[in-house]
Amino acid sequence: MTMTEYEAVIGLETHIQLNTQTKIFCSCKADSWNDAPNSNICPVCCGLPGVLPVLNKAAVEKGVLLATAMHGQIRPLSFFDRKNYFYPDLPKGYQISQFDQSLSSGGYLDLPVPASASPDGQAYVRRVSITKLHLEEDAGKTKNAGGQRFVDFNRCGVPLVEMVTGPDLRTADEAAQYLTRLRQLLRWLGISEADMERGNLRCDANVSIRRKGETHLNPKTEIKNVNSIENVRAAIEHEIERQIREVEAGNRIFAWTLEWDEDAAVLRKMRSKETEADYRYFREPDLLPIRLDDAWKTAILAGFPELPLERRARFIREYGLPEYDAEILTAERKLSDYFEAAVRAYGGDPKRVSNWLMNDILRMLNDRGLTADQIKLAPAWLAELLKLIDSGTINISTGKSLLQKVEESGLSPAALVEKEGLAKVSDDTAIRAVAQEVLAENPKEVEAFKGGKDTLMGWFVGQVMRKMRGKADPNIARQMLEELLK
Amino acid sequence: MELSDLSAHELALYLRQRRISAVEILESCLKRIEAVDGRPGRLDGGPLTVEDEQKVHSFITLTPERARAQAEAVDRKIAAGEDPGPLAGVPFTVKDIFCVEGTPSTAASRILANFTAPYTATPVARMEAAGAVMLGKVNLDEFTYGSSNESSAFQPSPRNPWKLDRVPGGSSGGSTASVAAGEAPLSIGTDTAGSIRQPAAFCGVVGMKPTYGRVSRYGLIAFASSLDCPGPVARNVTDAALMMNTIAGADPHDSTAANVPVPDYLAALEQGIKGLRIGLSPDYFRITYPNLQNGTFETQPLPAEIEASVRRAADLLAAMGAEIVEGVPMPNTRFGIPAYFVISRVEAASNLHRFDGVKYGYRTPEPMNDLRAMYRQSRGQGFGAQPKLRILMGMYVSAAQYSEQYYNRALRVRTLIRQDFDRAFDPQGPYRLNALLTPTTPTTAFKMAALYGDSVLMQYADQLTVPANHAGVPGVSLPAGLDGEGLPIGIQLLGPDYREDVLLRIGRAYEEATETDPWRRVRPQALL
Repeated sequence: MTMTEYEAVIGLETHIQLNTQTKIFCSCKADSWNDAPNSNICPVCCGLPGVLPVLNKAAVEKGVLLATAMHGQIRPLSFFDRKNYFYPDLPKGYQISQFDQSLSSGGYLDLPVPASASPDGQAYVRRVSITKLHLEEDAGKTKNAGGQRFVDFNRCGVPLVEMVTGPDLRTADEAAQYLTRLRQLLRWLGISEADMERGNLRCDANVSIRRKGETHLNPKTEIKNVNSIENVRAAIEHEIERQIREVEAGNRIFAWTLEWDEDAAVLRKMRSKETEADYRYFREPDLLPIRLDDAWKTAILAGFPELPLERRARFIREYGLPEYDAEILTAERKLSDYFEAAVRAYGGDPKRVSNWLMNDILRMLNDRGLTADQIKLAPAWLAELLKLIDSGTINISTGKSLLQKVEESGLSPAALVEKEGLAKVSDDTAIRAVAQEVLAENPKEVEAFKGGKDTLMGWFVGQVMRKMRGKADPNIARQMLEELLK
Repeated sequence: MELSDLSAHELALYLRQRRISAVEILESCLKRIEAVDGRPGRLDGGPLTVEDEQKVHSFITLTPERARAQAEAVDRKIAAGEDPGPLAGVPFTVKDIFCVEGTPSTAASRILANFTAPYTATPVARMEAAGAVMLGKVNLDEFTYGSSNESSAFQPSPRNPWKLDRVPGGSSGGSTASVAAGEAPLSIGTDTAGSIRQPAAFCGVVGMKPTYGRVSRYGLIAFASSLDCPGPVARNVTDAALMMNTIAGADPHDSTAANVPVPDYLAALEQGIKGLRIGLSPDYFRITYPNLQNGTFETQPLPAEIEASVRRAADLLAAMGAEIVEGVPMPNTRFGIPAYFVISRVEAASNLHRFDGVKYGYRTPEPMNDLRAMYRQSRGQGFGAQPKLRILMGMYVSAAQYSEQYYNRALRVRTLIRQDFDRAFDPQGPYRLNALLTPTTPTTAFKMAALYGDSVLMQYADQLTVPANHAGVPGVSLPAGLDGEGLPIGIQLLGPDYREDVLLRIGRAYEEATETDPWRRVRPQALL
């Protein structure tokens, strides 16, 4: 037996922190990143005696957006339930979650797997089913230090969506692709910061293997505490290899819970999972059911956007962009909006807009740490700039330097060209005079050129351009030089 | 007659007329407490003395300084010509299951004995905002788990002011005892299966369980969240109405508090009952309980005196123009207690999870290396027998392998009980009742220690009250005379959702009809 005779069966359980202003059941600030322990807490999220939860509707609305994007069936009536267990970071001794009648049922993501992530080098699409999508509150955090155990309740009551896939993924690369697409989608919808390093997107991976062609599920292990997409990929890869080694050696796979040690790049066994815990779920009597009537649902979905994969396909179809361009331009929603607005304002070749975006605008955004909607160089001005080049008013190098100037001054490209006299000089006599000057100043080069060193023509053009501070039309300069050197 | 014996609405009136001051009212109540209450309940309260047996012991925590500051504030407002609020200067006690900022909020349990609440429960906050003066926190069964008040970890537990060797009932026994003994004209209690109405009946006072959701539960340390209702305890119907005006209504802190307009309960009080349809049900004139030897159910008629009180009330109400409808079937009444046993315990066990010794409350003093051991020791030492029993049963019947046959089945029974009420109150149905008139309890107050320890029999004290909790409908218990031993008898009115106004109106009519009854002038033993 070799590795190629096995396939992996992978399911991902994700916890998505919704980026609401306040927590799901009280008015404490939801995001506590970098805040001192226990500084965003109140009697409600600390589970003091007598307190009651009050649902933050924004959490429901963000959940509905995600469920819709995943093609889930939104339930018009869903319920909260108590998941009972003891842990010091769970102040009520139960987590308010959803069980059998959650916000949404079913759903899927059609995951494009690029050639680079494909075992046989051929791109393909994997349909990943969603088996669970529900709202719940986060628990707090505990840590051990100096022989004591500390609890931080800041995270208690932060709104989460738990979303679980079916056992549909087959490679570590697919798992990484799924998380990349999920992260893109969450940011696209504006419902989560989706930063794995900050824990607002968390992932546990369930991994088992089987011989190719088999359809049953073998015992699986669960990998926890992985805090980046690359580490999820690496951890799953290690685990697949381990399971194959075990099976090849005639051993059984046990349902362990494993922890990824990032520094050592190894999996460690956290615990055996012999029996399923009994959480004694029952309906949360302190909350009313969520009634998503048509009016509310319509209001939530009123501005529902075209999703990234759809937009990517449309950019290829409608604008004739290469897949590579479409991928980069739809990586982020505001960038793709920028692209379309610029294309519309420009009216010319969309690929030209794409080139400028991918080469220049993206660099500017990265350098300045801005998103596409935050720069002064609005799509209409990029279009104007391109039109100035097309009409021959400015040359390309002027155009490139204009990008920075527009961004810094807040003036339109046309206004800057006017103000700084950047328009290309197309006056033959002015260029002829400068060309004569250049030739007169460089007799050695003239001689070399006449002696057959044709490549010097470019250098002469460059000299003319330099003297005219880039404003000369390089085609006319070349014409003049050729005439004078005949 | 002393100020402490006056009703809340009289006190509020005299205060506004500047005939008395809030501080004078307070002093009168404190004097009464001093005279009749004896030592407050406390942990490891020691053996009962002969003197203890002559006292009421309503309180766990008396807060006279806080009360004096509030009373003085009321007097200042009146002096300044400001509106001091509808309950200005009226003293009240609070069942110690409500959180009140800065006061111990113990739930009568060792596990919360050292817990001082950092916030105030909505109903208490509304009372104080209306100018009422809180005297302190009164005793109850531990976490409200009981019908006699004896399970409190804070001993001595309250005694019935009418006969001091009797229980006051429970779990709001401290509330009803304090009101019956004239320590305060009002108290706020909670009712999960009858915990306001049953002790109100035992202590000869008015106790109302409002519609579920009518009064906010925010700040009420939960027993069974889907059944718990805060409500008023008073010496007469008008005072209960006055208090309902203050505590009822939606609350942004409780999403189960209904967003239903609250009527002025006083306005309709004297409108009479002409044309109201009041039902009597044979299912409320008997109790059914399990024979633990052979597992069968046995049925017993109620004591004749109790049934007679209800029938007499029906006659009096009929004479005032109500239409009495006999023979209303309420067939699922007898399943109320078994269903309650399951539902309340599942919710209770879950609600008690938070008391783990980690954040607040009791933690075992012994050093523990293991987290689980710390939980076990803290909870084992902190909880009394009643919480432990409820946790055991609640965990059992909600376990994955049993929840279908117990918990989910109990929920279906609950729906059936609700349907009994729906049919009786349906305006298009065969009965079209405005209210159902029943006894409140199957017995009058029993002797201390007579039932304690038999949690099954104890629970059957609630058989006639618990259906209203299952169904969510409002109910009120009214004093209706004394039995042969001089113990109060209570009658109960049950009504459709949010029709507390109708129940209070009928209650007021009954008060008028019995105004001259000799028993109305009998004073409780504690006041003799």
